[in-house]
Parts: sequence; C-alpha cells; structure tokens
Amino acid sequence: MPLLELHEAVSAYGKVEALKGLSLHVDEGEIVALLGANGAGKSTTLRTISGLMKPQSGSILFHGRPIGGLSPEAIVKLGIAHVPEGRRVFPGLTVWENIVLGASNRRKVTRRDIDADVGRMFAIFPELKKFEKALGWTLSGGQQQMVAIARGLMSRPKLLLLDEPSLGLAPLIVQQVYKVIAEIRKEGTTVLLVEQNAHMALSVADRGYVLETGRLVAEGKPEALWSNDDVRAAYLGGRTAGAG
Amino acid sequence: MGFALQLLFTGIGVGSIYALVALGFVLIYRTTNVVNFAQGDFAMLGAFGMVVLAIDLGLPYWLSIVITLAALVLFGALFNFCVYYPLRNRSFLPVIISTIGASIFLENGVLAAYGPHPQSLPGMFASQGFNIGEVFFDSQYLLILAVTIAMVALQYLFFERTLLGKKMQATSQDKEMASLLGIPVASMIVLTFVYSAVLGGLAGVLVAPILFVSVGMGSSIALKAFAASIIGGFGNVTGAIVGGLSLGVVETFGAAYLSVPYKDAFAFLVLFVFLLFRPQGIFGEKIAEKA
Amino acid sequence: MTAGQATAAASTRTSAGKHPLGGVTYLAIAVVAVGFAHFTPLPAYWLNLLMQASTYAIAVLGLTIVLGYGGQINLAQAAFFGLGAYSVALGTTTFALPFFPSLVVGIGLAALAGAILGLTSLRLGGHYLAMVTISFQTIMALVLTNWVSLTRGPDGVTGIKRPVLFHNYFAPSAHYLAVSIAILFIVGYFVWHLRKTKLGRAMQAVRDNELAAGVVGVNTYRVKVVAFTLSALLGGIGGGLFAGGFAYISPDQFTFNESVVFLTMVLLGGSRSPAGTVLGTGLLILLPEWLRFLKTIYLAVYGCAVILIMVFMPAGIWGFATALWRKLNPVRPIRPGAIPPLPLTEETGRADGSTILEVTGLAKYFGGLKAVDGVGLAVKRNAVHALIGPNGSGKTTMLNVLSGIYRPTKGVVILEGLDITNLAPHERAGHGMGRTFQNIRLFGAMTVLDNVMVGAERPNHRVAGKTAGLEHHALAALDFVGLVDRAHLQVASLSYGHQRLVEIARALAGTPKLLLLDEPGAGLNHVEKAELVSLLKRLKGHGLTIFIIDHDMNLVEQVAEHITVLNFGRCIADGSPSDVLRDPEVVAAYLGEVRANAAT
Repeated sequence: MPLLELHEAVSAYGKVEALKGLSLHVDEGEIVALLGANGAGKSTTLRTISGLMKPQSGSILFHGRPIGGLSPEAIVKLGIAHVPEGRRVFPGLTVWENIVLGASNRRKVTRRDIDADVGRMFAIFPELKKFEKALGWTLSGGQQQMVAIARGLMSRPKLLLLDEPSLGLAPLIVQQVYKVIAEIRKEGTTVLLVEQNAHMALSVADRGYVLETGRLVAEGKPEALWSNDDVRAAYLGGRTAGAG
Repeated sequence: MGFALQLLFTGIGVGSIYALVALGFVLIYRTTNVVNFAQGDFAMLGAFGMVVLAIDLGLPYWLSIVITLAALVLFGALFNFCVYYPLRNRSFLPVIISTIGASIFLENGVLAAYGPHPQSLPGMFASQGFNIGEVFFDSQYLLILAVTIAMVALQYLFFERTLLGKKMQATSQDKEMASLLGIPVASMIVLTFVYSAVLGGLAGVLVAPILFVSVGMGSSIALKAFAASIIGGFGNVTGAIVGGLSLGVVETFGAAYLSVPYKDAFAFLVLFVFLLFRPQGIFGEKIAEKA
Repeated sequence: MTAGQATAAASTRTSAGKHPLGGVTYLAIAVVAVGFAHFTPLPAYWLNLLMQASTYAIAVLGLTIVLGYGGQINLAQAAFFGLGAYSVALGTTTFALPFFPSLVVGIGLAALAGAILGLTSLRLGGHYLAMVTISFQTIMALVLTNWVSLTRGPDGVTGIKRPVLFHNYFAPSAHYLAVSIAILFIVGYFVWHLRKTKLGRAMQAVRDNELAAGVVGVNTYRVKVVAFTLSALLGGIGGGLFAGGFAYISPDQFTFNESVVFLTMVLLGGSRSPAGTVLGTGLLILLPEWLRFLKTIYLAVYGCAVILIMVFMPAGIWGFATALWRKLNPVRPIRPGAIPPLPLTEETGRADGSTILEVTGLAKYFGGLKAVDGVGLAVKRNAVHALIGPNGSGKTTMLNVLSGIYRPTKGVVILEGLDITNLAPHERAGHGMGRTFQNIRLFGAMTVLDNVMVGAERPNHRVAGKTAGLEHHALAALDFVGLVDRAHLQVASLSYGHQRLVEIARALAGTPKLLLLDEPGAGLNHVEKAELVSLLKRLKGHGLTIFIIDHDMNLVEQVAEHITVLNFGRCIADGSPSDVLRDPEVVAAYLGEVRANAAT
C-alpha cells in the first residue's frame, strides 16, 4: 500500500480551481518530484495534503486512512511534515528555538529526547551549529532553508513535503541542500518534493510527476521524463498548435 | 530638586499602569493583529472587582486580589470567544468596531449593576509611605512599581525561557507556520487574551486605591496606554514599556509645571507629534504596504 | 423604440442610479415630513426628540461619507459636531452675531478641522488614523471643558438664539424643527447623489482597494482629505442646528462617547446608504424611549448590539434589507444597443519602430535583498512585449516599480519621452499607463460598470460629453471584452475569468497607451486562456502596446513579439521568442543545468 495517495483531488482558492482532479501516489522510502511551471498547482498540492487547504472533492489517503479536511495540527501529528515555500523561519526566534519548535507535534517527549534530536540535526547540518543563537531574520537564504528542513525533520515525519527548497538560492547552496535531501532518504524518510528547478529535482528523485494548470500531464522515471520533452514543454512551451 | 524627583517617582508610578495596559495591547496585536479598544475595561473590571470583594463583601485584600484575577482569566477567555473568534477572518475594521462595542457593553453593564457614583478603595497598607530626604515614597506607588517590575521580569522569563512562551511567540510571528508544526494556534490565542486580561485587571487592582473607581476609568487609561504603545513603537514589547513610562512622566511633569486641567491633553499632543513625524514610534519598524 | 433611444434610456437608468424610492417619492416624503413637523401640534417632549434625531442624523450622514463610502474610520465626529454647536452658541451669545453667520463660521471651522485630520492620512491608515481622530476628539473635549474664559467651561452655554429672519419665524420649535428636517432631506439627497458621482466612485474605490485605486488613476490622498472635510462639514451643520434647537449646550455632549454613539448609529442602519443612516439614527434615539423599562441597561444592550451587528449584519439593517430586495428583484441588464466602438489609443499607435517605454539601469533593493539589479529594456510602440523568468526573478517587483508602487533604488523610466521615474501611480495612469494585477484587485462592493468607470475617470482623460461620455466609454470597454450584459452586476458575483476581463476593461476604459498585464492568465482554464489570447491580439490590432508577465509559455509564445528574461533580478536574455526560448542560459534558468549523465 502506498504511503500517500491522492484520488481526483480538487482544490480551489475561492472560485479558482487550482487542482482539477489530481491523482498521484508516493511509496514508502521514495523521493518523488512534483514539477511544473509556476501556477501549475504544485504548492497547492502540498498545501492540500498538509491541511492548509481543504479539498473540495476527491480523497487523500495516508497509510490508507483519509486525511482530507483535517487540520494542519492533526495532520502533522499523523506524521506528515510540510516545509513550505519561502522557508518561513520564525524571524524573532533563534536557530535553536526554531528547530526545537519542530517537535511541537510530538506527545510525551522529554527534554533529553529533544536535545538528542537537535544534536542529530546539527550533525546533518554542521554549519548551523555555529549559528545556533542567531535570530531567524539575520540568516541567509541558504541557512534559512537548512533551518526549515531541520525543523521539519524534528517532528520525526514519515513523509516530508518540501516546497521549492531551491527557490532564490545560489546554485552552490542548492547543491548543498540537495545533498541533505539525499541524506534524508537514507535515514528512511519519504519525501515529496516540489520544484521549479526540474534538473535538481530529477537528479535525486526516484519518480516524477509533471503538472500543468492543475492537471497531471506526465509521470515516470527521471530519465523518461527528461527525454520525453514534456518537462521542457511544460515550462517553456513549444508545443505545436492543437495541444491546448 | 526634591520636587522634580517627587514628580519623577509619581510619573513612573502612573507610567507603570500605562505600561501594564499597553503590554496587554501589544500582545493581543502581535498575535491576532487586532487592536483591542476594550483593553482598558479589563482594568476597570479589576478595580471594580476589588470594590465588590473587599468593600461590599468585606474580604481581606489578598483574597480579593486572587479572586479578581481569577475572574479575569475567565473573562479573557470569554472575550476571545465572543468578540474576537467570530470575526477572526474579517478585515480590521469590523474587529475594531466589535471591540468598541465590547467596551460600551462592559462599561454600561457595570454602570447598570453598580450605579454612576465613583467608589473609593482605602489604601492597602497600614502605613502611607515613608520619606527619603525631600521625596515622599507612597506605599501604593511603591507597590505598583514593584509589581510592574515583577511582571515585566516574569513575562521576559516566560517568553524567553519557557517552551510555551516560545510557542506563543511563534504564533504571533507566523500563525500558519506555527500550525504546520503542530502548535495549537487557537489555544495560543485564547492564552494571549487571558494573559492580556489579567495584565489589564492587575493594573486596575493596583490603581484602585489611588484613583476614583468609576466605569469610565478604563477608557481613559486605555487611550493613553494605546498612545503610549504607538509612541514606543506599535507591536513592540519594549516600546510598550518605555512608551508607558515616558508618557506617565511627561504627563506628571506637564500637570505640575504647565497646566493641571490639560493634563490629559499632553499624552495626545505627544502622540500627534509622533504620528506626524515618526509613526513607527521609538522602537518600531517602518510601516509599508506590500503590493 | 429605436436602438439609439434604447441606449439613451439605458444610460439614463444607469447614471441616475437605482434607488428603491425614486426621486418623486423622496420629494413627496420630504414635503410630508416637513409639513407634519410644521403644522402638527406636538408636545415639547416629542419636538425635542425629533430635533435631536434630525440634527444627529445630519452629523451621522457625515460618517456615511467618510466611513461608508470612503472606508476611513472617524472617531472625532462629536468634536466636529461640537465645533458647529459652540460656534452657534458663542456666536449668538458672547459675540452677539446673528444665527446664520455663526452657523457658517461653525461649518467653516469644522470643515477646516476635518481637512487637517484628513491631511494626516498621508502616511497613516487603519488604526493609526483612528488614533489620530481619537486624539483630536479628546483634545477638543478637554478644550471645551477647560477653556472657561471662552467656552464657559462645564457650565455650558445658555440662551442660544435662533435665527431672527422673517419676523422671528423660527422662534417656535415646530417651525425650527420643520427647517431642520428640510435641511436633513437636502443633505440626505446630496449624500445619496454623491455615490454616483466621480468623487463618490473614487471614495468607494479607495475603500475597497486603495492600492488598485491609486494605480487606476485615483488621487487617493486627496480623496481621503475631501472625505474627512465633508464629514466634518456635515458634523458642523448638525451641531449648529442642534445648538439653536435646544438653546443650551454643555461640553459633555461632545465627548468620545458621543462619537461612539454616532458610529453605532451609522453601523446599525447601514453605513453605505443614507437611508440606512437615518434609520439607524432614528432607531437609536427613539428606541431607548420606547424601551424605557430597560433604561439602566439599554446602553449595555447597545454595546452588545454593535458586536452582533458586526458579526451577523455588517451591512446594517438597511443594507440587509436592500440585499434581500435585490435578490428578489434583480436589476435588469443594460441592452447594448448602438455603443460606439472604443477608441483605444489617442494616437493611431502604428508600429513605427519607435520606443514607447524605456527603462535604464533599474534597480530595487529591499534592505539587503536585490530584487531587481540593473535591468534595462525598451518596449516598442504597438508591440506585445513579455517579461518572463523563474519564480523570484524580480518580475513582479519590476512591474510594481513601473506602475509607481515602489520607488526605484536606481534607474530611470521614460514613457514617451517623459521621465516618470518619480511619479505617483495615479499620475502615471494620467499619462496613459494602464495596469492589471496578478491577484485580481477589483472594487468588490461596486458594480461592474462602476469599476470600469473609475478607470475611465483617470486624470487627463480627454473624452467628449463629460459624465455621459465617460459612461459610454466605459460601456464600450466592457463591450470590447464582451461583458456589457453584466455591467449592472456586483463584481463579486462574477466568475474568476470574468473578473479578470473586468479588470482589463477597467484599464482599457482609460484609453491607455501602454497596458501592463501581470499574469493575466493565472487561474484561467484552457478556454478562457484561448479567449484571452484572442483579446490580446485584438488589442494589439487596435494599436495598443502591451507589456505582459506570465508563466504560461504557450500563452506567451502565442502573443509575444519580444521577450525579456529575468533571473535573480538581472536581465539574461532579450529578443524574439524563438531566440530567447531556445537560449541555453534561459533553459538553464528554468530547468536547471543540462546534465551530461542522465543516470541517477
């Protein structure tokens, strides 16, 4: 049974349908990439899964149980962590405090457990240890991205939703972030990764989906997608007339 | 010289009351983006609570204070559910108006229950105070100062050193992100209103022996506390405290050296000047709209 | 009826506005009310009550303008009321002036005070502005109480005289009341009519979406100052009449509490309509008398009522009733008839290779973030020029700088030879720049036609025939996008795709030279996008120059002749679509680096 399934999910902002019947699945231990141009509905998909938006129809199943309509607090308790677009590190709190708050969903967790987990995070993100007492707003984009991912991991999620981790980051930093993403998979966390940067995403993913205006237009293994030209067309057009 | 020091002491005492109420404003604003026009009425309720319990029912002061503050905890929660929660997704105007409505309701409710005559509460201490040199240190003012310092310290410890305090800070900085981490945002907001109500009530309890206890006392304190928080920098905790203290001092000196009847006007004149030339206050950041 | 007559009739219907009562009925009611007050022998108690109600209603109508139409919170109305009252009071007693000159002075003072408060709105809005009004109110109340030598302090002023014209015609209270009511009806008509004027529309635009209002051509600052001035002016009239009516006033009648009472009155009835305002005022003055058994707690009920109104009936009683009425009697649509085609560009706008918009060295920094870092481009006349780039590349910032929402950190923007770098958004609209927004910014509480009219009413718009001409122009713009049959509807009831089109029509109604479109395709389905493409092509055919941001490359490919690509705030490509979309650097910016090895 897949870890996460979406069946014909329809999601809307007021009157605007952003997801028009999306079906996909994520198996345990995979990294799945969700690609598409801006406005294709990638972020909406993650927001619908994590509970920030309620699906208007269709179903979302986690471990076979429906989660559509639950609150974000309930969903993160079930084991889905969402690292949203733009990182959203708490600007007035320190790096350490941001990371510790990531464990807010866990019940009955002792101070020792948290300290141990924070230690593990600093092992994965060594650079952050130096900045442990720095306030969120003083960090660079790349550092904020590390903090946001570490914070997401603190909830010990079974499924990590990553929204555009490379956004606004210099290429070198993007490489670092993706190295971490590969590490995360090694630890056993399943990842659903939304990216505009198709190359980086497909370089770590096991499978990919391509969205265009709220609909799935392609899926498959990275090599297949890359050579298919659907990816290129979804971003840069070039489809012949009659495809609309 | 002694006179100036006396004024300074009194001014800081008065300013502490403004600071306590302003703190309540700022906390609610940071968490919910709501300006609570009924904040001063929490103080009024605190003062009336003391009158009812200590004078009418004859309970000892310490017990009256405990019961009053406990009642305000309940009251803050009620306020959250009745006044804020139904309007939490609307624009700022309906919410401001709603808090104004709550203020009218509270003041006139107490008026209907208690009548229009101002009450007075006898002092809480056996001794009036003591002298050091030319300055007379009134015991009630000393209590106000002591409590304010204690509250500010406690609040600092709570927000900076406890996990719950951090969760509340997170909620006020980014509600949606906090919910994604599993922080129960609705509960954090209730807590904010409860704490602010207690702060307001505490200010009322402390100031009751000094002023006449009347239904209108809350509004005038609130307006000045609001002015103080804008002067300090709206949304800024340090600003609320500094603004409150400064305002108390300015007002006291103004009353003594310039004019007593226009005492209340000084606060607003200072506010006017700030709003015209530095609306972000002493500690605040520039206000701008995103496109 | 011929088509022309049908159009004329239709236009008259829209420009006269819709009022459930109709002009003649209003006049009839006014005459009856005035006659009733004048001739019926009412006991003094009722005379006083009606006097209070009518003078208060005039003041509260001021709030209808500033709050209901303009969306600005004004908690100083009692202070303005007090200025009017004290001017009449002191004028007729201390200064021994006749009534009407004193009243005029009072109105003038109130208006001046209102204008000053309005001026503070330059840098402040929301609760800051509310605080300014409260400060002013508090200071005024203090002055009235404490400046004893002038105002007689807490004792108040007695023996206020009424007008002595026409052999003391006004001496009997019944006559005075009749005159007050007559003035109320006149003021009421003026306030109602205001809604359908250019100023009224501009105020409502500021209320509904201040940012968009500025970009579309409304001088938002001036509108706010005027709103405050008018509100204060009406407060002054009400206060002056109040003083004459009651012959005695005291400072405690003009405190912050009274301002709150005025606010409650305007909210109860419905802040957006004068009828609602009068209803709310009447109810709140008469109700307490009828509910006298609740005397001690009625004010508490007041306060509770305010909360309940905000939660359940934000449009007030009258607003609720009219919404219901509209549901049962839907407004009839306008028959298009013979609408002259839209003259889209003032010049013929031929593609003659000249440059209409030139941007040099543009930079916008937000603290350490360089959103736009040295971009230059040239938009040719009658071209369709697209600006693309990955998320976060600076496109929207660039567009906001071009519209005047942001001041650039560096660089120059020249529109047809004119340096517009430092012009405010409404001034740019006045020079022929139109714009739509990524997140649709329509004026939600107004009709489709009114929305588009605001666009037509931009500064320097030379159209023959004044308001009727502008209305024809607006209808023509709606006709161009195919929405004329929906002109009478509230914009909020339209589908997303149609709302997009209304936004475009609003920009077109101003006869722009240059149209900036920010992601016009966002949220549209395939069919709607195809229609958008053909609309854009038609616009180009009419000579318009279009500058468009979008992410949908199919759409961009179909319409753009020239593309500029941004990445990290810098321009990385600039040329024809076929060149740019195949440029390796552009591909890399979107898709990432081309990999040598496909295996994971």
